[in-house]
Amino acid sequence: MKPLLSIKGLHVRVAGREVLKGIDLELMPGEVHAIMGPNGSGKSTLSQVLSGRDTYEVTKGEVLFDGKDLLSMQPEERAHAGVFMAFQYPVEIPGVGNLHFLRTALNARRRTEGKEELDAMDFLQLAREKSKLVQLDQAFMQRSVNEGFSGGEKKRNEIFQMAVLEPKLAILDETDSGLDIDALRIVSGGINALRSAERSMLVITHYQRLLEYVVPDKVSVLANGRIVSTGGKELALELEKKGYAWLGQGAGGKEARP
Amino acid sequence: MTDVGLQHYLDLAERFQAERAAGAPAWLRAFRQEGIAQLARQGFPTSKLEDWKYTNVSPISGQSFSPVRTVHEAGVEAAVARLALPGTGPLLVFVDGWYVRELSRLEGLPAGLTVRSLREALQDGEPLEALVGSRARADASAFTALNAALLEEGAVVRVAPGTVCPEPVQFLFLSRGDTHVALASPRVVVRAGDNSELTLVESYVGAAPGVSFTNAVTEVVLGTGARVTHLKLQAESETAFHIGGLHAELGRDSRFASHIISLGGALARNEVHSVFGAEGGECTLQGLYVGHGTQHLDNWTNLDHAHPRCSSRELYKGVLDDKARGTFHGKVLVRPDAQQTDSRQSNRNLLLSEAAMADARPQLEILADDVKCAHGATVGRLDEQALFYLRSRGISRAEAESLLTHAFAKEVVGAVPLASLRDQVEALLARKLPGAKEGRA
Ligand SMILES: Nc1ncnc2c1ncn2[C@@H]1O[C@H](COP(=O)(O)OP(=O)(O)O)[C@@H](O)[C@H]1O
Ligand SMILES: [Mg+2]
Repeated sequence: MKPLLSIKGLHVRVAGREVLKGIDLELMPGEVHAIMGPNGSGKSTLSQVLSGRDTYEVTKGEVLFDGKDLLSMQPEERAHAGVFMAFQYPVEIPGVGNLHFLRTALNARRRTEGKEELDAMDFLQLAREKSKLVQLDQAFMQRSVNEGFSGGEKKRNEIFQMAVLEPKLAILDETDSGLDIDALRIVSGGINALRSAERSMLVITHYQRLLEYVVPDKVSVLANGRIVSTGGKELALELEKKGYAWLGQGAGGKEARP
Repeated sequence: MTDVGLQHYLDLAERFQAERAAGAPAWLRAFRQEGIAQLARQGFPTSKLEDWKYTNVSPISGQSFSPVRTVHEAGVEAAVARLALPGTGPLLVFVDGWYVRELSRLEGLPAGLTVRSLREALQDGEPLEALVGSRARADASAFTALNAALLEEGAVVRVAPGTVCPEPVQFLFLSRGDTHVALASPRVVVRAGDNSELTLVESYVGAAPGVSFTNAVTEVVLGTGARVTHLKLQAESETAFHIGGLHAELGRDSRFASHIISLGGALARNEVHSVFGAEGGECTLQGLYVGHGTQHLDNWTNLDHAHPRCSSRELYKGVLDDKARGTFHGKVLVRPDAQQTDSRQSNRNLLLSEAAMADARPQLEILADDVKCAHGATVGRLDEQALFYLRSRGISRAEAESLLTHAFAKEVVGAVPLASLRDQVEALLARKLPGAKEGRA
């Protein structure tokens, strides 16, 4: 079987500083790979680069997605190809209705696939169905995208979008951060329901807590822009017990950025 | 401001006055004469004047616009059918500034509401001297003076005390665009009696591309407790010129709202002069201006808090693309005894291109001490983070830009308190704002 995602020697600069210093990673179809790391280690940078944010400059390396050169694609082309990133900080967009936004997104992709667009009624039905997965109330769909949503509601909205868009690759950037235990259960329930043999996931987290609910196939530790360790799910537990400092020199990142 | 240009308008006004002198009442002759005198004294404004700093009117003053008397033509009917708002309420149609009775609808008005063509009212010798010019004085600007000098067309609207008008009164000002020098000088005069309620819609629309000049004045006087909503759609052709002055005086505890959507014109200026004439009034001023190409859209407002316990809410938003320029000049004057004034002003501009420009100029003069006054002005571009968020979900850049631009405009469009006009504005915006078409390609 060929990997769905293959990252080779990825170097990334942001604001004049090298943040990713040679990342190698392979993700097989259906595989769930957790990436753990302290604050500032480059987790969000990796997520953003994979989804095409142009403020991050790739200086070296390549990324193949489904055999295609991911880095040469526009963000929307990546989405059409099946990449989805749940933002660590979902963006509030006043004046753009959540439902309208998501229907526009889904239809944009359906057009590239030569499928018929969904009208408002059909889409509403689909959205209702999918929203149950994360217990997102109907009222949220009528509101502006993420505007005035609590932290937990924003994260549920991300997973709801993932459920509608049905990506091949989901990159979940600290989807657990800022969630209380009930919200964490709901969100991980949604994520687990979306696991399938056709969908791979990069589950990015600072804490081991999420991985009790979303059990990964593999765990890698990112520190200072490098993957310093890769193992099975036990690695997460070990990290939890010993802390990032245990990984040794250069692994400990700056703690608790706002 | 060539003298040649001013001279054309002065000659025009003198001729106009002379042709109509016979049979005209003394007040009317004096009113027009004062217009001529003020026009001669002031001349057309130059950018040296504070109030005209950003707007060069030489494309208007340098051309020989003149009134054109039109006849009712078949082509116009179709345009009226297309542009009039749905509904059965009163409708007054003007073509190149000329009232066309055959295309208008003034029957079946509710008791207490009178709507007449100004020309017909003058012909009948109605005593209008107390109404016409009560708010818009000829010395306000050269354009107000020019409108006064050419006073003839327009409308008189009277609402008796306590009358609630169920349907809006709509004015459709059509510029035909085939005569290349048409000057329209409509004046709408409105008296809203105590505790009456009225919605007015003024639509200025180009039936075809052409060079015309509309120089409109509207005067609204609200009695105690009256509620008047004034809605204006400026959708002239993009080769046309438009200067509009809305002058309102708010009676005790009255409520006045103005919503202006400015989309058309090579050069368009919308002025709002609003004065509280007694305590307890509430005034809302909203505007949206959307320009592209080389359009110049000027928004000028003056809120005069002349009495205590009045509140004003002002929101103007601009969307500017290509080489378009938008200006906002918002004056607020809080006079010394206007205690407990509550005033908020906001101007936000969205630039969609490198060459587009916006000038935001709040100007507050606060002479009372027990007041709440806030203002803010911004000029910015589309939020890159929001764009990325949308694109990361599969929405093309063009469609994402369109979504965000519509969202920006929506705050003002959505607040237009008349669904049929809102629909019309949304349809116009869907055609005008960039991105929508590419996004669906
Ligand atoms: N847009 C940016 N501008 C400047 N510095 C950035 C930006 N994004 C990330 N960084 C820096 O890159 C490093 C990695 O950040 P990030 O990828 O957000 O880490 P993590 O998600 O693991 O906490 C940090 O030192 C951070 O300050
Ligand atoms: Mg992060």
